[in-house]
Amino acid sequence: MLWEVGGGLAGIALAQMEAQAAPRKPGTHFAPKAKNVILIYLPGGISAIDTFDYKPDLVKHHGKQTKGENTITPFFGKPGAVMKSPWEFRPYGKSGKYVSDLLPHLAQRVDDMTFFHSMVARSNAHGPAIFQMSTGYIFQGFPSVGSWVSYGLGSENQNLPSFVVLPDPRGLPPCGVANWGNGFLPAQHQGVMFGDQKNPIADLRAPVAPAVQAASYDLLSQLNEEHLGAHPGDDALAGRIRAYEMAARMQVSAPEVTDIKGESEATREAYGLNDPATRAYGYNCLLARRLVERGVRCVQLFNGGHFGAPRINWDGHEDLRANHSRCAASMDKPTAALLADLKQRGMLNDTVVVWTTEFGRLPISEGIGEGGRDHNPEGFTSFMAGAGLKPGYSYGRTDELGYKTAENPTTIYDFHATLLHLLGLDYTRLSWYHNGLQRRLTDVHGHVVKDVLA
Amino acid sequence: MRKCWLLVVVSAGLSAQQKPVDFQREVRPILSDACYHCHGPDKGSRMANLRLDVPGPAIVAGKPEESKLWKRINHATPALRMPPPAAHKTLNDAQKDVLKRWISEGAAYKEHWSFTAPVKRELPAVKNAQWARNGIDRFLLARLEAEGLQPAAEADKRTLARRLSLDLTGLPPAPAEVESFLQDTAADAYERLVDRLMAKPQYGEHRGRYWLDAARYGDTHGIHVDNYREMWPYRDWVIAAFNKNMPFDQFTLEQLAGDLLPNPTMEQTVATGFHRCNITTNEGGSIEEEVAAIYAKDRVDTTGAVWLGLTVGCATCHDHKFDPITQKEFYQMAAFFRNTTQKPMDGNIHDTPPVISVPAERERARWHQLLVEEKARRDARAALRTRAGAGMDEWVRLGKYKTVKTPFKGYSPRWTLQTPAVLPEGVKLVDGAVGGTKALSFGAKKSLELPAVKHDLDSRKAFTVAAWVYLPKEEQNFAVATKLDWVNKKDSITQGWAFDFDGRRPRFQMMGGKKDDLILIRAGASGRLKANTWHHITVTFDGSRDYKGLSIFIDGKVAITETNPNSGGGMVEGSTLSKAPVTLGSDGNKKFFEGGAVQDLQILDRQLRDDEVEILAGWMPLRYAGEASLDVARGAAELLYLQRTDKAWGKANEEWLQTVAEQRAITRRAPVTHVMNEVREKDPEAFVLFRGMYDQPRDKVRAEVPAVAGALGTKYPRNRLGLAKWLTSAENPLTARVTVNRMWQEIFGNGIVKTAEDFGAQGTAPTHPELLDWMAVEFRESGWDVKKLVRMMVTSAAYRQAAVATEEKRKKDPENLLMSRGPRFRMDGEMVRDYALAASGLLVPTIGGPSVRPYQPEKVWETVAMEGSNTRFYKQDHGEKLYRRSMYTFWKRSAPPASMEIFNAPTRETCTVRRERTNTPLQALITMNDVQFVEAARNLAERTMKNVKSGFEGRLDYLAERALARPLEAREKAVVERSYKSFLSHYDAKPEEAKKLLAMGESPQDGKLSAQELAAWTMVASQVLNLDEALNK
Repeated sequence: MLWEVGGGLAGIALAQMEAQAAPRKPGTHFAPKAKNVILIYLPGGISAIDTFDYKPDLVKHHGKQTKGENTITPFFGKPGAVMKSPWEFRPYGKSGKYVSDLLPHLAQRVDDMTFFHSMVARSNAHGPAIFQMSTGYIFQGFPSVGSWVSYGLGSENQNLPSFVVLPDPRGLPPCGVANWGNGFLPAQHQGVMFGDQKNPIADLRAPVAPAVQAASYDLLSQLNEEHLGAHPGDDALAGRIRAYEMAARMQVSAPEVTDIKGESEATREAYGLNDPATRAYGYNCLLARRLVERGVRCVQLFNGGHFGAPRINWDGHEDLRANHSRCAASMDKPTAALLADLKQRGMLNDTVVVWTTEFGRLPISEGIGEGGRDHNPEGFTSFMAGAGLKPGYSYGRTDELGYKTAENPTTIYDFHATLLHLLGLDYTRLSWYHNGLQRRLTDVHGHVVKDVLA
Repeated sequence: MRKCWLLVVVSAGLSAQQKPVDFQREVRPILSDACYHCHGPDKGSRMANLRLDVPGPAIVAGKPEESKLWKRINHATPALRMPPPAAHKTLNDAQKDVLKRWISEGAAYKEHWSFTAPVKRELPAVKNAQWARNGIDRFLLARLEAEGLQPAAEADKRTLARRLSLDLTGLPPAPAEVESFLQDTAADAYERLVDRLMAKPQYGEHRGRYWLDAARYGDTHGIHVDNYREMWPYRDWVIAAFNKNMPFDQFTLEQLAGDLLPNPTMEQTVATGFHRCNITTNEGGSIEEEVAAIYAKDRVDTTGAVWLGLTVGCATCHDHKFDPITQKEFYQMAAFFRNTTQKPMDGNIHDTPPVISVPAERERARWHQLLVEEKARRDARAALRTRAGAGMDEWVRLGKYKTVKTPFKGYSPRWTLQTPAVLPEGVKLVDGAVGGTKALSFGAKKSLELPAVKHDLDSRKAFTVAAWVYLPKEEQNFAVATKLDWVNKKDSITQGWAFDFDGRRPRFQMMGGKKDDLILIRAGASGRLKANTWHHITVTFDGSRDYKGLSIFIDGKVAITETNPNSGGGMVEGSTLSKAPVTLGSDGNKKFFEGGAVQDLQILDRQLRDDEVEILAGWMPLRYAGEASLDVARGAAELLYLQRTDKAWGKANEEWLQTVAEQRAITRRAPVTHVMNEVREKDPEAFVLFRGMYDQPRDKVRAEVPAVAGALGTKYPRNRLGLAKWLTSAENPLTARVTVNRMWQEIFGNGIVKTAEDFGAQGTAPTHPELLDWMAVEFRESGWDVKKLVRMMVTSAAYRQAAVATEEKRKKDPENLLMSRGPRFRMDGEMVRDYALAASGLLVPTIGGPSVRPYQPEKVWETVAMEGSNTRFYKQDHGEKLYRRSMYTFWKRSAPPASMEIFNAPTRETCTVRRERTNTPLQALITMNDVQFVEAARNLAERTMKNVKSGFEGRLDYLAERALARPLEAREKAVVERSYKSFLSHYDAKPEEAKKLLAMGESPQDGKLSAQELAAWTMVASQVLNLDEALNK
């Protein structure tokens, strides 16, 4: 693995003993469909029934109180009456998929998407649910999906990290950096957050001119080589020399990838870089493509930030219409542009795009404010797009009002197992020995959703 | 016997064909990994009712071909072959061969090595006996000789001085220290250097830093809002404990059960902070029972990893899959930690109870004295009150208090609320608490501005505000009386003061007109008032600008209060004077007091004493309703009597108040720290939680230790005290081994058991089991003498070897697990930073105190933190605080110091006893480009130029002695000189670039030095500090 330099374990006499602690070599378990992944995360909980999970019955029941089997315990307060979607739905594409007017741009891409309509999360509180989607566990401290991918596949690029994170410029998502933490996996698998355009990585910029920088790297490497002469075969030392060489290259390559001067006006327009509403997230979408192009294994981007007032994520408790309209205004167009751009460049053939959230929202009104919806972990929608998937396909179903999963429940474990599968990784074998257990992304659960595979 | 053991050890996987199979080292790991999941200790997941962790029917001893185990692992049909395909485990031929030979040899099971008591065996015989300096060497050498390896030669003295200094103090040696060691030709020069280094206070800092990873020490609560937690007195306790060489059994006892010791000292109570270091939450919607279960699990996991080296937490939801620990035993362990007064929600406050104040060292003697004095004076005062007896009762009964004209001497309020002539709509006059003036009641969004009343409360002056208040049932924020200028409504920035209610708890705030510039106190949970009732509230202030100078009294009695200080430290900086008038029933923005009422509001220009507040609270009831009307009235009546008639009581009262005032003053200066406090009324117990689910409690269990390691029996109490004593008893097979192993890991890089946190079946086997046991017993028998143990390790010949590997050693011992050469590995992030600071002369050696905030990349906290968090904005310190040792850097759990984290520091959210050690480009970027390191390089360069007036070589020697503890060799010097010249010519051509480089960091520059030359030397210093040699121990 290029990112990991030295410091690894090597087997010695105590063969079997060490075998447990020895790290696996990066690589696939079987032929992969995709080699890169772009994770798009929408914190707060985007509503399924107001976007891709069309429920015409909501209109019929609008304003009625629910009873009987649909009794539910919302996160806040008392359940209100059924609330129809504030948006109209219409069919799109060859698949005829119904999409709400909230997402006119993504609606144009439905034939590239593979929907999971019956997602089930284990918690209806944000914190644990976000942890589950980000790491597979409802507790803090486990490795994130991206770090498992990095650990599983390693890097394809010597000049950039294997897992890059692009948070919403308005702020970090709820639970912060734990969303891309490496947990107990080695630190090089931690997501590297790219900050502002000019200085994407901490301390990337040298305080000296390039000529001085070059001369100093030169001095360092000569003295280190000298030192290596006294310690021949020292892996850690050889590793350090390589790490400094990589640091030098990264100082060039990271600013290069974030510099979008070379992108055409048409591309800028498509990603919404000319519109203040979409510019910041649009830039991240474009950057995601550029990073994947350069071999970054996993890019995770967020549309939505932490909690607080005013809301800057999809947690539409008080006023769903206003909240989702505001969020969609930044998310819809750039995400659609990213899908179109990847497709047009042929990159969807070996990249999988994942669009997800921690849970959906209830079909009833919350009974406060202007018609908000409470959390619904019992049935919500995510989509994937790209390599190895049936395009324009919908898997799973919720009941007629969108309360609960009615068919083919997909747990987060299943969702993660399927993603790893697309990358050529067996979710039961991708493991790390920690505190007495071979730990996995999917804990002891999960099945690959075979139905969605092309 | 010894010979036999040697053979076994040597066998491990090499050309082991002829040697008997060792169950512990060879067989169990195979069975554990491939079979135990379905055929192990956990009955829940056991298949075919077959166990392979104990002797059973699947094995016919001596006859592999007849054994079912052998047949099934070789079954021709893949579906029937074990382990089954679904397990994704396969046995290779070598592993099968081990199993076959083991069965042939009789299939003897042995108890897992770590569960049997360590035995101190005779030192093994070695050929090269004169090499060995102590017992450690005998064991290591025996193994090396068996492998056909020779130890490396002893390292040169400079290398040894540097290595010792780093291992014993965490800092590079001072050049003078190296020099005196070089000059010292005495036979025990080395040992005396060891002693000198161990006597330094930096020894305790360095040892303590490792321990703080295990203790998961941090400066914030960790979950959700992640607010400040005041905890650093515990960190300082750890440092002091190592420095005074507290025996490890005592160290254990005080941290796990200091509160349960008879008459614990303040220090022993501070020590219990160990188990208050876990991450906590106050997230809305959290379920208290669930949170309490999570805390208990963390404490079990931590105790298991640190003392037992067992993954006890694996048995939270079911029996342990690999080790003989049942789920019930997990909850028996949890019971130890579920019997304290701590509440699950941390309240987002910096001092979540139970906490104690920890006065500064110099005030401690007085503080202890005051504890005794206060009690004596309180008792004396109470005795006099009792003595007043019948006379007082009669006086009260006859209502003589009505003849008293003023509540107490010097009662003259600056302002008292009068009934206004005209009232706005929605504000009404109603009857008050107990007669007197009418009260004002407020309708929806109604308030009363008093334009003529301009009574500011100055944060620099003492005052008292008192009023009778009637609270409606609702829970929202209610404004009673305020005087606020709204500086910025969007960010809620105000200037002035506000007396309001928050969740029915009285609250008082003073605002300085800038963001986060305020002080605030609120009554704690016990001060939550009953609705639809009148209460008398008094707020007093000492004029200190500090939130600790504020007190709240409810019905005449002082209330427990809490605060939410901003990261600035709970002082209001700006002026609290405002232009606004006093407003009743509103904060002038969105808060009102609908359904509430206020009566007899008054402001006094001094801080009333406790007895005066009590009288004030009882004054109106006594006037209008008599002593029987309210509890507070009776107390006030008695005080009025005593004040007037009993000189002796008056004197005792004064004395008592003086003591209390002095105590409060010391407390106000003192930090608090979080501690454990056992509930004494009941025995520790817990419920087995079905599948680990907090809402599925099953059987109730008592506190007990895991049976595999022993039992409390009747010898030890069934609480944390018993646990702590048992942990360090000779009966416990684990603690001494686990502790010795962790110390070994600190010094030699890898533990003898590499998985320092897991000594169970899934952990790695010890490379030198007999050495581990020998040291464990030595350690215990020495009285758990930590310094002696460390000394033994660093004075061994093994430690003193040069860190040079031969071709053969790299092949046979690539990781240096056999110690075929001296230890050499990359230092932890803290050491890397401290090293640069020390070499540059910038390091400020102050020990202990509040955590500091050195340079950090921009917005590291802001982007992570939640809106309301008081650790949202990183307010960088200046001056000395930029150059303290890294262990004092403020540790925010959700955003640990970036430069540490990149060097594999844990987040300190959970216990860590072993850090990963990776080398990545991001680390290189920090040590090359980060302001802290560039500034250190510049200071090292300045020092060099100032101390060696001229001459390249002399200067380079000076620099290298500080950065590497050795002068460079001629070849190296030539390389550096070429680079230096190229740096210099660059900066000569571009002096403005030199200035830019030298401007990095806040330490003053020496303007007399040539900027170009200094810049060139800065680059040299930076590169030398980035050498592998500098970054490695």
